Amino acid sequence: MIEVRRLHKRFGSVVAVEDVSFAASDGMVTGLLGPNGAGKTTTLRMLTTLLEPDRGSCLLDGRDVREDPMDARRRLGVLPDVHGLYPRLTAREHVRYFGELHGLAREQLLVRTRELLAELGLSELADRRAQGFSHGERAKVALARALVHDPQNVLLDEPTNGLDVMSTRAVREIIRGLRARGRCVLFSSHVMQEVGALCDRIVVIARGRVVADGTPDELRARTGRENLEEAFVQAIGSDQGLSR
Amino acid sequence: MMRQLWAVLRKETLDHLRDRRSMFSALLMPLVGPALFAGLFTVIASWNREDKPLLVHVAGAQNAPNLVAFLERNGASIREAPPDFEARVRDGDLDLAISVPDDYGKDFTGGVPAALELVFDGSRNRSRPAVLRTERLLRQYSAQLGALRLLARGVSPTLAAPLALSEVNLATPEKTAANALGILPMFLLIAAFIGGMPAAIDATAGERERGSLEPLLVNPVHRASLVAGKWLAAVAVAWMALLIAVAAFAVALSRVPLQDLGVQLRFGPPEAARLLLVALPLALVAGALQIALALFARTFKEAQTYLSAVALLATLPAAFLSLAPLKEAAWMMWVPLLSQALLLGDVMRGEYPPLHWLLSSAGGSLAASAVFLFAAARLLGNERIVFGRG
Repeated sequence: MIEVRRLHKRFGSVVAVEDVSFAASDGMVTGLLGPNGAGKTTTLRMLTTLLEPDRGSCLLDGRDVREDPMDARRRLGVLPDVHGLYPRLTAREHVRYFGELHGLAREQLLVRTRELLAELGLSELADRRAQGFSHGERAKVALARALVHDPQNVLLDEPTNGLDVMSTRAVREIIRGLRARGRCVLFSSHVMQEVGALCDRIVVIARGRVVADGTPDELRARTGRENLEEAFVQAIGSDQGLSR
Repeated sequence: MMRQLWAVLRKETLDHLRDRRSMFSALLMPLVGPALFAGLFTVIASWNREDKPLLVHVAGAQNAPNLVAFLERNGASIREAPPDFEARVRDGDLDLAISVPDDYGKDFTGGVPAALELVFDGSRNRSRPAVLRTERLLRQYSAQLGALRLLARGVSPTLAAPLALSEVNLATPEKTAANALGILPMFLLIAAFIGGMPAAIDATAGERERGSLEPLLVNPVHRASLVAGKWLAAVAVAWMALLIAVAAFAVALSRVPLQDLGVQLRFGPPEAARLLLVALPLALVAGALQIALALFARTFKEAQTYLSAVALLATLPAAFLSLAPLKEAAWMMWVPLLSQALLLGDVMRGEYPPLHWLLSSAGGSLAASAVFLFAAARLLGNERIVFGRG
């Protein structure tokens, strides 16, 4: 369960997030949709405790993340927009490293790593160094290590950005699996197709504010547009920065 | 917390060990000093070697047959000097030459001091030992004849020597050697700083530039464990570099013919161990400072610039001490870098620094490391550091 209340954040004179509020429930996939520079990544970073909001609060399972940042990070699995792998470590070592940082027991970690890598179709690459991985393979390794501790809340920043069809499908499968197990999934995207295909609920952000919030059907009804794409354009006020 | 520290340390160490190129340079670098050293000293020693035949070119040898015979009896090989001997000495072809004027014999028998020229070029280090030996032989010959003349007149030669001067050089042989070996600590200080440098940069500025810092910090891991793990990984490489440097020096010193330099130096395992005992704590400060600075740097390149400057600055105390020795005081032993430069010098001079000095030196280094590590952990909590500054 993720709740964001009246979040504000500015960097110098640039206002990145201006009054953002929304909630994402367990067992649902919530999409954070918005053009580039709308404040999606900044919002997610405040949820991970790495950025301090100027005002407002982020709640995970009902607790403010700033009360106990360590506990908040334990409840979170995060796939940042830059995947940041270590070129000289293998896929398996990446997953193991994060599992160790989460304090997983050895045996448990071994099993969990094997399962995750298999689920993402990485078994064959498991013991190869990340150096030679394709973009899709890197994204999947980053996702595997983000999920190693089986977190209740999962933040995915543009998870399928730049992935080929097969990798996109694998990632979507993972997301659906998380939903089926009652996890709370929040993912950001500027790709409408992505959001339309996966999300139970959509939060549209533009220029640091929430401009629409609801199920895909509600959004269509509210904007009076049949087509989801046109509904977005209507909500945002322009089609700048959106991809189909 | 300890488990996390251990996980970070293990990952970083594995990562660095696989970085062949920077490991190679970090561990090869320490060999430069000893190699330079061995080369330099072998050359100097070959100039000074006492058993090298002393070659003396004499112009007008026929004027002083007795003198020539004396020189030959004392191990000199006498050659007829070429006509252009002055030019040849100036060019360095000849170490020296003796010129005997034609009226040498007349003056000699007449009891007038007989003129004799020793021709050499004082700016040439290479010829200095030969010149000194020749000069010593000539004085000896002169003194011997003078004594004989006094005896022949019934005067005791001791009357002509009102002073009995003998030199008592208080420097132990090791001390003399240390003057020459004074540059050794400098190489160890460099090794302590250069060794961990690539590791420290890669684990901080590199981690940010690669985009792996954000995912790492999202884990429930204490900033202190992260910093400490990265620090120890860098220190481990620096320690390896120091071990290699000291071992290489031990090998180099056992090969170089130091006795030809008139130097008796004991450098065995105990001395090597003492060098390490002094130098290892320095690597702790070096690593901590490098981690903090590289984290503060905006980019990988900026970090490299900072840390190279630091490594260069780190040699200053040792360089200064080798030029202008300082009288050691207890407070100096608390100052990282200065204390190590002093103590390494002591060990090279064959002295045993008192135990409490060693402890203060290590303690001061640990305290400084703690300060830098604390600063680094604080930096990791700063969002402008984590996500970079524009």
